[in-house]
Amino acid sequence: MSKSSPCTYCGEASFIHDDISSELICSSCGGVQHLYSYRQRKLFVAQNLINEVTNPLGLSFKSSDVRSMISTITEGEFGQGEWFKVLIGACIYVVMRKEDRPLPMAEVASTIGIDVYEISRMILRVVDFLNLRPDFPEFDIVHLLERMIRNCSGCASAERNLIERMRKQGMFLIQCAVKWYLSIEWRPVPLVVAVLVFMVELNGVGVGMEELAKEVHARVSTCRARYKELLETLVKVAQVLPWGKDVTVKNIIKNALVGIQYMERNAMLKHGEKREEGLDQATVDLKDVVVECLRNDGEFEYGVDGMSKRKDSRYFMLESNAGRVGGGDSERQQISLECLSVLYKKFLDENNCAESLRGSGSAQKRRILQFDLLDKKLLLKYLLEKDVEVDTMSPSFVNGQLKCKMRRERINASMVRIKRIMHQSNADLADAEIPGTLDGSYPESRRKKRKGMVVDDVDWEDLIIETLVLHQVKEEEIEKGHYNTLLDLHVFNSGIV
Amino acid sequence: MAEQALEGSQPVDLTKHPSGIVPTLQNIVSTVSLDCKLELKSIALQARNAEYNPKRFAAVIMRIREPKTTALIFASGKMVCTGAKSEQQSKLAARKYARIIQKLGFPAKFKDFKIQNIVGSCDVKFPIRLEGLAYSHGAFSSYEPELFPGLIYRMKQPKIVLLIFVSGKIVLTGAKVRDETYTAFENIYPVLTEFRKNQQ
Repeated sequence: MSKSSPCTYCGEASFIHDDISSELICSSCGGVQHLYSYRQRKLFVAQNLINEVTNPLGLSFKSSDVRSMISTITEGEFGQGEWFKVLIGACIYVVMRKEDRPLPMAEVASTIGIDVYEISRMILRVVDFLNLRPDFPEFDIVHLLERMIRNCSGCASAERNLIERMRKQGMFLIQCAVKWYLSIEWRPVPLVVAVLVFMVELNGVGVGMEELAKEVHARVSTCRARYKELLETLVKVAQVLPWGKDVTVKNIIKNALVGIQYMERNAMLKHGEKREEGLDQATVDLKDVVVECLRNDGEFEYGVDGMSKRKDSRYFMLESNAGRVGGGDSERQQISLECLSVLYKKFLDENNCAESLRGSGSAQKRRILQFDLLDKKLLLKYLLEKDVEVDTMSPSFVNGQLKCKMRRERINASMVRIKRIMHQSNADLADAEIPGTLDGSYPESRRKKRKGMVVDDVDWEDLIIETLVLHQVKEEEIEKGHYNTLLDLHVFNSGIV
Repeated sequence: MAEQALEGSQPVDLTKHPSGIVPTLQNIVSTVSLDCKLELKSIALQARNAEYNPKRFAAVIMRIREPKTTALIFASGKMVCTGAKSEQQSKLAARKYARIIQKLGFPAKFKDFKIQNIVGSCDVKFPIRLEGLAYSHGAFSSYEPELFPGLIYRMKQPKIVLLIFVSGKIVLTGAKVRDETYTAFENIYPVLTEFRKNQQ
């Protein structure tokens, strides 16, 4: 109840606000009061619109911040109509982004019922108007993954511990994906979906890609493409394992946990060597993930408590010896060696489960002993010779390099053809002296590159390159591939007035 | 021909291009005033290479093959010429369009020719960590992977906008003379090397 000027009907000063009709009603006679001014009604409607947008996003607690931002932008005037809803959505996005908790633009756009590009333009205008650019946080893909896990309806039935494990594993994997350039060249949301799909498969949670993609308004086909790339990269990364050659896209799920554990342990070791303060947050996450993964090894010979305790003590010893060079190296190698041995035996046991069931107890022990000896030799050599980190290059960069290389080959082939035409007799002699080296290799390599297609030795690109070479264009320029520009400048003489 | 040969075969001037990389000019946009009112419908009816749809755009769109360019011709007599690959080409093309308008019976002149925009591109040949660049140059950078795969870098001096991609490809736009493009690239090149991803 609120008190204001007296009722216009009965003179009493006791009123009730009807939430349904948004009207002020006298509690004595029930008369509807019309005391709000135009401005008050506009502000009230604006607040309702703000609530209407924030509530479906689960951000009602940010309503006041959004209102404050809109008030600043509109100088307290707010607004009405469709454009105002777009402004509300943009401010919601900016408020969350400022707190390093970004929302997908597609989700905000879907809630409002507009196109993502429309809201993106408004977002950029808000950022520019409020001059937020210098300190505006970057898009945080890790937080997006956490948010998706938290809001995933299909994961709601899973155990809390399982969800936490997925979150930690996913955080590690998404950061690796960023390092592997999987998140740079495309929109981040499909990659997050791909990582989450991988996590639910790894942990046996029954959620499909279609369901996850629908929740974040991402295209399923794009998510599938990112998922395929993620698997292929993980297979490449798994090559560093002793049995890496046996890892394929089909069995990467089975080996994923092993590979992740290995990468985590090496990341911890390298962090111990570097002692960089900037990695404190990452260190905490990695430490938690390592501890969590170690707890899954309870089925081995050691008891659960003993296993955990001994590994923890080794970890603490490692940390205390981080400053030492000689002893630290020895300790690190032993830890890695032992861990790898355990993981390798686990992998082999899973693959030979049927055989081991048929064998006797003594046979199993002997097999374990044999593996143990083999593991030590193999892993010691492995540790001394290889580096666990896998540095992958941007796909577009790699493609660009390949194209330049191909153009270089075409340029060389064009020069050979020109030389042969200009010196026909000498070219014939050269062909006789070195049979096949000038003509044979290039067409064959050309045919090999285009599987299933029979093509001529010279195509349109070769002709263009040959023309440019004849006009004395620099080879470095031709390698860039800007044929139209080069033809206009050097061939058609249009640059000369 | 000699100038063309020199332009094609001259080595990179390292005093002007310390990085050793010369951006390639991809597009020149210029404007010129014909200094007379034009009947666009008449032009569209008489010229073979002209398009005019007033409901869609209030200008005649005319194209010529040599230099391969497109012109927007407005009733006010203003003309915009796009598609040229060098300043000389752009001016030559603008003169050709003006000549066409003259032949159609209009008292067209050639006044206030000006290069409005130069677009260049190049490749630094190494991948770039866009997140690090966006973080350390936040005042000039705009990197929104949800919207565009490249980083938009707004350089203050010279006033050039650069599109920087993870593959190492760079697009420079907003220059009015080509030296601005070259200067902008030389300014950004040390920054790019700072955030390069070393290739094994």
